[in-house]
Amino acid sequence: MVMKSAVEDDDAGWGLGIPEKMKNNANWVDITHEFKGACKELNLGELLHDKLFGLFEAMSAIEMMDPKMDAGMIGNQVNRKVLNFEQAIKEGAIKVKDLSLPELIGIIDTCFCCLITWLEGHSLAQTVFTCLYIHNPDLIEEPALKAFALGILKVCDIAREKVNKAAVFEEASDFPKCVREDFQAMTYGFKMANNVTDLRVTGMLKDVEDELQRKVKSTRSRQGEQRNPDVELEHQQCLALFNRIKFTRLLLTALIAFTKKETSSVSEAQKLVAQAADLLSAIHSSIQHGIQSQNDTTKGDHPIMMGFEPLVNQRLLPPTFPRYAKIIKREDMVAYFSKLIERIKTVCDVINTTNLHGILDFFCEFSEQSPCVLSRSLLQTTFLIDNKKVFGTHLMQDMIKDALRYFVSPPVLSYKCCLFNNHQAKDYIDSFVTHCSRPFCSLIQIHGHNRARQRDKLGHILEEFATLQDEAEKVDAALHSLLMKLEPQRQHLACLGTWILYHNLRIMIQYLLSGFELELYSMHEYYYIYWYLSEFLYAWLMSTLSRADSSQMAEERILEEQLKGRSSKKIKKKKKVRPLSKEINMSQAYQNMCAGMYKTMVALDMDGKVHKPQFELDSEQVRYEHRFAPFNSVVTPPPVHYIQFKEMSDLKKYNPPPGSADLYLAASKHFQQAKLILENVPSPDPEVNRILKVAKPNIVVMKLLAGGHKKETKVLPEFDFSTHKYFPVVKIM
Amino acid sequence: MATMIEENGPSSHEQPEVSSSSQARQKLEGLLNKNMRIRMTDGRTLVGLFLCTDRDCNVILGSAQEFLKSTDTFSQGEPRVLGLAMIPGHHVVSIEVEADSLDDAQGFGGNH
Repeated sequence: MVMKSAVEDDDAGWGLGIPEKMKNNANWVDITHEFKGACKELNLGELLHDKLFGLFEAMSAIEMMDPKMDAGMIGNQVNRKVLNFEQAIKEGAIKVKDLSLPELIGIIDTCFCCLITWLEGHSLAQTVFTCLYIHNPDLIEEPALKAFALGILKVCDIAREKVNKAAVFEEASDFPKCVREDFQAMTYGFKMANNVTDLRVTGMLKDVEDELQRKVKSTRSRQGEQRNPDVELEHQQCLALFNRIKFTRLLLTALIAFTKKETSSVSEAQKLVAQAADLLSAIHSSIQHGIQSQNDTTKGDHPIMMGFEPLVNQRLLPPTFPRYAKIIKREDMVAYFSKLIERIKTVCDVINTTNLHGILDFFCEFSEQSPCVLSRSLLQTTFLIDNKKVFGTHLMQDMIKDALRYFVSPPVLSYKCCLFNNHQAKDYIDSFVTHCSRPFCSLIQIHGHNRARQRDKLGHILEEFATLQDEAEKVDAALHSLLMKLEPQRQHLACLGTWILYHNLRIMIQYLLSGFELELYSMHEYYYIYWYLSEFLYAWLMSTLSRADSSQMAEERILEEQLKGRSSKKIKKKKKVRPLSKEINMSQAYQNMCAGMYKTMVALDMDGKVHKPQFELDSEQVRYEHRFAPFNSVVTPPPVHYIQFKEMSDLKKYNPPPGSADLYLAASKHFQQAKLILENVPSPDPEVNRILKVAKPNIVVMKLLAGGHKKETKVLPEFDFSTHKYFPVVKIM
Repeated sequence: MATMIEENGPSSHEQPEVSSSSQARQKLEGLLNKNMRIRMTDGRTLVGLFLCTDRDCNVILGSAQEFLKSTDTFSQGEPRVLGLAMIPGHHVVSIEVEADSLDDAQGFGGNH
């Protein structure tokens, strides 16, 4: 295509050809008048264009002078000179030495705000690098500012490296701009302080800190002394600066600790961020000591601080850069930092979880808080250090074997079983476990992505788990026939298969449920989603869990018998809590919640209280098939097709077919059942309480509806997902 | 862009003089894929290949580069690559083409 080749040509030689033409004005002939006149002859709506250039291509053009699309526009509306660092120094617009304490505090606080704005997904060029000092710390003569600038650069560099390594950001979602942008920024020559070692930077910060501490001490009030207000002010300011420098150092040191390979460094990092958190209230209360921007509010929301030029990188941005970054306010800075530190502390806790299922749950729970990309990335890189070992110490294969033992206690992994030392059996299980390790690493990595991407990726990973399922069944069969020869009284049936199936079902359930959280479903779709969950997935999950449970019991019985044979001592038959009992109970509760919602939706539909679209281009079947499309790659459990669903959920098979009142009553019973189960959960967690808060009002509403309450109203009911992200409180208006 | 597209419906306007409008069309077609320099109301100049226009003089340039106004000292003369860009007609201040490209485009520049 003409256009394409033109672009490529230009890319190769731009900056040479055209500027020359620009200078050579003689070449250009003004045709404004004729051109405009000729345009007027065109018909309304007529496009004059090349054969190879059509509407489709035209659509992708950026519109000049549109503030949303035209990044270059803002720069041209400002009536001030945009100076870079060197120019600003030359013009005397910026100080590089003898900065006052309020100036330093103001600059540092603004930098913190920029850092946060960057972490929140804006480009480095529009945030941290709007601070001119960061562009070249070598030119700064003031030691505190120089050390700080280098510290911030290091923080950015490590954060960026972590995020890149963890690869849990997406082009089109929350972190892309900064990651893509700072790559671009790098090519434009930003230095990330790579010429200075981490140790040197923390050392410089420490030196500044010590110096400031001396000043703080020398200006401290002594007993019986008449306090000079100036000295007191200086004391306050020195303390404010001291706290900021120390915070920077602690943050940097903590991030450096995360780059080390030993597990101990993670707890080290946890200590460091905790120390940093202790400084935050002091930082918050001293914000007013910093200079404020010389605010020129008439020019919009970009106040100008000394040392900052929001537009300095404007020309480095891609042409259609979405918007210019609104830097967060200083007042919100401390709150953000304390949340970030809380998240980092939580991340550090992961190393205390040793079981693979526990880790998976940890990742799920952490992801539910929609954490920032930095903490997500830190969690990923802490979990798998350089993609080899879990927490840098355990082999993924061993983790998987432990998880299998914990879940189904397969004979092949039991020390007491002859298969354990059988050469062939070992080969089977080892190769299976090796094959598992990549999909499970991916599964854990998926939970590092943002919620929307997770769903997408869960749909895809089902394919890999389907392959594993197949292999698990084959290995089970091979091990079983081996075991039958060696120890005929034992079985090895569907052990590995049960375990993989369990994960399969969890993924499928999560896939469907997350659709509620992401508000993907329309009200008229709820009924088949909840049907699929309650009648199918949770039913399967529960039978899988009970199979695992009985497999555990069988294994325990064998162990007990062996022990009995050896020692005459009578083993106390204590009633042990089954390890899977909580999960079985929870699944039962979820199933009842889903069943309740399903019946509610069907009954509401009967009463004409569900808005249904006029299907023109699609049909319910098309939607249904789209919703469950990823399940088609799964063999067990087999996908339920629309026709099957319609047959299975047909109410006419009951005699007499239930009316809406019957269904409301049934729904109410399901919610009641869920409530009963949840109230008997020992040591309920927040999730249990959240579901209870939905179940209780729904019991009442369903009873009311069953009694004919507001039967005639045509106002559509409301579904309030604010209490629980998967189950709404039904509200009848 | 949207406005241009929306207006692209079947035209209800009757064509006043077939000859004059077809002449204008010919003129404009002669300029297609030629380098064009457009100055905008905010002082910036875009240079790129002329690809498309309409009655309101909205112009689309391909592989466009943006030059800042000459008064701006910062990174002056260094272009920024924009790619495909549409300049709304009411922001077009002046349009220039390279002299040698006028040889192919009859009726432009030569007779004034």
